Amino acid sequence: MASPVPLSRRLRRHGTSYAMLLPFLALFAGFLIWPLANSLYLSFTTFDGINPAAFTGLDNFRQLAEDTRFHHALSNTGLYVVASVVLGTLLSLGLALAFNGTGWPHRIMRTVFFLPSVTSSIALMLMWKWVFFPSDVGLGNTIVSWFGGQAVAWLATPGLAIPILVLMSVWGGMGYGMVLYVAGLGAIPHEYYEAARIDGASTWRQFRHITLPLLRPVTTYVVVTGLIGAFQVFEAVYIVFQTGANNIGGVLDSGLMIVPYLYDQGFTHFRLGYASAIAWVLFLVIFVLSLVNLRVGRAMKEL
Amino acid sequence: MAVAPMDTAAPVRRPPRRAETGAGRRSRINGHLLRLPFYLLALTMVAPFYWLLITVFKPPSELARTPPSFVPQSPTFANFYDPEWTAQGVNPGHLQGIFQRFQVDFGFWRFLFNSLLITTTITAGSLLICSLAAYVIAKHDIRGRRVIFLMIIASMMVPWQTTLIPNYVIMRNLGWLDSYAAYIVPALAKAFVLFFLVQFLQSLPNELIQAARVDGAGEWRIWWRIVLPLLRPALAAMSIFIVLAEWNNFLWPLIIVQSDEMANLPVALARLNSYFGGPDHQGAIMAGGLLASIPTIVFFLVFQRYFTRGIALSGLKG
Repeated sequence: MASPVPLSRRLRRHGTSYAMLLPFLALFAGFLIWPLANSLYLSFTTFDGINPAAFTGLDNFRQLAEDTRFHHALSNTGLYVVASVVLGTLLSLGLALAFNGTGWPHRIMRTVFFLPSVTSSIALMLMWKWVFFPSDVGLGNTIVSWFGGQAVAWLATPGLAIPILVLMSVWGGMGYGMVLYVAGLGAIPHEYYEAARIDGASTWRQFRHITLPLLRPVTTYVVVTGLIGAFQVFEAVYIVFQTGANNIGGVLDSGLMIVPYLYDQGFTHFRLGYASAIAWVLFLVIFVLSLVNLRVGRAMKEL
Repeated sequence: MAVAPMDTAAPVRRPPRRAETGAGRRSRINGHLLRLPFYLLALTMVAPFYWLLITVFKPPSELARTPPSFVPQSPTFANFYDPEWTAQGVNPGHLQGIFQRFQVDFGFWRFLFNSLLITTTITAGSLLICSLAAYVIAKHDIRGRRVIFLMIIASMMVPWQTTLIPNYVIMRNLGWLDSYAAYIVPALAKAFVLFFLVQFLQSLPNELIQAARVDGAGEWRIWWRIVLPLLRPALAAMSIFIVLAEWNNFLWPLIIVQSDEMANLPVALARLNSYFGGPDHQGAIMAGGLLASIPTIVFFLVFQRYFTRGIALSGLKG
């Protein structure tokens, strides 16, 4: 890499190139690299945002290890992530297989399932809150009453918090996965299926040995981006489950997740050091997932 | 919300349809039977949207009624603007429409304006800044570009919430809290946009750029006149992702916005919702949600063909 050309000449020749890179690099360094390093530092401090940060070593992480609310947030998030990604991916694939044609009935169905992806997400959250209204005026309880049931306090029932959050996530996200799968299906050469048919392969065997393997890059993408997105859930909890300024995670923290807890500690309790430690736990989880994604991607390229 | 059937799918090649035989018809009926669960699922997709839509056009009294009506009995636009509402409350049964709700100049229009301004500025600004950097990284032979590119790729694995607290402190120290700058400036350098544009540029031949250099065009001119036009499909695809993400951005605005005036649509509607929880207020809240959704739906319908191509161009190739 070392070039014998002196720096001054290189700068003259490449000055424009560096100037073109500068806006991006300056913003990138100022609002990503520096804050990232800074948040690592803050995670080892006690910091209320006003007084200077006081270095306390691993105290925050030790406290996290014993914080039952944090454990609750972690287990809620884990359950939510697994359920919403598994269900979401299966339904996305199913929808893509069912509605991958070019005729208008299939296009209308795709539009219906894709609509939440282009609808304002705050509108969807407020809509859900209204659907799950606790009295008989809500849509959820109206449907329950058709079957002779009593009104349910949907959002105030701890056991229903995660199922409702999963429902909202799958309902809103499966159309997006479907579109990715439809694009993937369109890229599979039709000759493969013709050859398989000539060989007498059943529909199931065609699906198992042609469709599924060739869709693997799409599946990896849908699963990994789904996992990463699910770990970062915030708005659904904050809008739908918040019951007051000091209760972010719903009744008994039944809907508490990692990012809402980070917000709660950082911006309602002003424990910015502690919140930074939570942020780094989130970072590590997502970093590992991304590395797995890279490795899977590379392994598949070598295949 | 009339939405035309969309073309989100890459064209799927189908075998030419043969004359319908008995077996063909049977397999078509089988196909519909197999799809039955998905038709039912489609019903659960439509139902909440329908619920939102009818709520918008019901007067407050009808919203509080049990059981709820499934066709508005006395359809009204009062949830947008109710001319009969008075601040003194002499007209019971009348509530403010969404355009009468906020005690800021221009009311709800202010938040529509804020969201539009922020979204368009971030989209245009980040596409310009990222395309400049992408051009250098993809087509210029300078020292350190590999290291820079690797760092940018690595940064895509960082959840942005990790930088939330330091960025909040930076905004505060700069005196930028509650300003458009706090919305826009930290959102401009987008690693995934740069990554995508670099990949796209690398797949393009160098001849046009070389020819322009031979003709004596400067690098800025080449970027503006040659690179940007070549990038057009990639820029269109990225703009969809950026617009949707910025339009829906919630956590960052929640932290940096303090006044009523500077809220974007999501923050304004979230605040409205936290003040008014009763069923009779849902009409105005849903009207706000509906108005907040129209711009992104329209934008998507205009740019949807680039969206599909964007999917095909991005990481999905493996």
